Amino acid sequence: MSVWSRGRRRLFSLDEIDRFPGKEAWKNLTVVAVVLILATLTTSILVRLSYNASSAGVVYVLAILLVARYTEGYLWGVLTSLISMLLVNYVFTYPFMSLNFTIEGYLLTFAGMLAASAITSALVTRLKKQSRELRRRDKVLMTAEKETMRANLLRAVSHDLRTPLTGIIGMTCTYLENGEQMSEEEKTVLVSGIKDDANWLLNMVENLLSVTRIREGDVKVNTTPELLEEVVSEAVSRLRKRLPEMNVHVKVPDEVLLVPMDAVLIEQVLMNLLENAVYHSGATDAIELKVERDGETILFHIRDFGVGIAPDRLDSLFDGAGSLKPNSSTDAHKGMGIGLTICKTIVEAHRGKIWVRNCDRGAEFVFSLPYGEETQHEQADASDH
Amino acid sequence: MSKPTLLIIEDEKNIGNYMETIVASNGYKAVRATGGLSGLSMCTSHRPDLVLLDLGLPDIDGMEVLKRIREFSSVPVIVISARTQEKEKVEALDAGADDYVTKPFGSEELLARIRTALRHSAQAVVRSGNPLVYSCDGLTIDFDKRLVMREGKSVHLTQIEYRLVSLLARNAGKVLTYDFILKEIWGPYADTDNQILRVNMANIRRKLEENPAEPHYIFTEIGVGYRMREL
Repeated sequence: MSVWSRGRRRLFSLDEIDRFPGKEAWKNLTVVAVVLILATLTTSILVRLSYNASSAGVVYVLAILLVARYTEGYLWGVLTSLISMLLVNYVFTYPFMSLNFTIEGYLLTFAGMLAASAITSALVTRLKKQSRELRRRDKVLMTAEKETMRANLLRAVSHDLRTPLTGIIGMTCTYLENGEQMSEEEKTVLVSGIKDDANWLLNMVENLLSVTRIREGDVKVNTTPELLEEVVSEAVSRLRKRLPEMNVHVKVPDEVLLVPMDAVLIEQVLMNLLENAVYHSGATDAIELKVERDGETILFHIRDFGVGIAPDRLDSLFDGAGSLKPNSSTDAHKGMGIGLTICKTIVEAHRGKIWVRNCDRGAEFVFSLPYGEETQHEQADASDH
Repeated sequence: MSKPTLLIIEDEKNIGNYMETIVASNGYKAVRATGGLSGLSMCTSHRPDLVLLDLGLPDIDGMEVLKRIREFSSVPVIVISARTQEKEKVEALDAGADDYVTKPFGSEELLARIRTALRHSAQAVVRSGNPLVYSCDGLTIDFDKRLVMREGKSVHLTQIEYRLVSLLARNAGKVLTYDFILKEIWGPYADTDNQILRVNMANIRRKLEENPAEPHYIFTEIGVGYRMREL
């Protein structure tokens, strides 16, 4: 429902009137009062100093804009316009200290003044509302994006977890039902398969646990300075326990480097990337893990000499939109999808970057970690002792 | 010689069975408790040679059990922890546990830790039995002459570096926490910031190891400490 009022060009809703004596209203009223008092004082001084009454309106325009900016809704700005107009007429225009609209030209002038100032204030209020709306929409979009990401992740996870579990259940059932008819060799194959699948599951779970270490709201990690070579060697040796056939050549810089990171998470990234290289390159050549310092950044290169990655998949590798099928014909469940998405999340939470490119033989995954200046100074001190 | 008795304090049935099986089939006698309190009483009644203690017990905290055991016995204790319990692991080691295994663990790892812990407790008893030389796979440390040789060539270590290496070597196979090492080498009033230790270890690694990223002799357990290769 709207109310029109003579002389005004804006409509204001009944709600605003209903809310009238709320706390909000008192706050807004105070703003109006303060601003108007200051404006009047300033104008008096201005008029006296400049012997010129035409500057009377100017300060009030500023006052109206301020009110529109710092109060809620259209009402107060418009109200201030009205009061300002009346004040200018009463205090600063002949006859002084009295209201007069009858002198020729006055009605038009003051109506014009009121209209202009009311419209200006309304414009300011509208701009304010628009920017607020934009911010709100942005937030909604971001939440929606996060939700989609989470939904995708969950879907990919359930698929990646269900597959090895199906394998394990199947194999154990086979053993229980047909164990007697199976040869020792067959049994060993079966049980090894169970072990492999179980290890794979474990890896998945640890990947997921990693994600929980990243603080939800601001996607940051708790970092401590860690020795580069220690993190790398632990990642490699842990993976080797699970994949003894892994063939990796590791190279770290000679320089002793203490890099701020969450060691558990970065180890997870290294293990994921190395495991991918082992399973998906389809080759038996050694995988190269090379770490180097490039100014303020530490780069980790994981290079395999296998079949490379299909070019059409390069862009969406880290998106985690469901598990991707591997290149080779190895077990379908060892999809790359989840691991890489988690790598990306972890690396970006460290404010680093991760990317992949195909080489003439095989593919190379690279991720970076920032290496701050302060860490460098601390190191210099420590090695002097 | 009679078989050493191992007390397994673990509330989860499957894991407990698993440990009992490994241990029994490798020359040890296993005794089991499924809770902290029953574990403590079995410790006093059976006087085991080693205790395998799970940190996540239902009735009382694993750490509490450890502390109470340490009140009356120096029996070697190996704690069993989950991957996410890093702090508890280190706390346990500093509170007197001798070693740890992380779930899920392989049988090889568990058995290796048990062997090391039993050997060290035996050595502690026999005072004069301190080894004079550490020799493993190309690396030789002569504690008497304070000489370190790798592949026949002598390696020059600074004072601090030598003390670090010899400390680890004399406890070969056993994990030593950062805190423990800091106090041993730099004294009880040392700064608890372990960067100085890490940097020294990095330098040692570059002197002793072929490839500092693939260590052969000194292993890092991130968040916990260091362990030297067992003889």
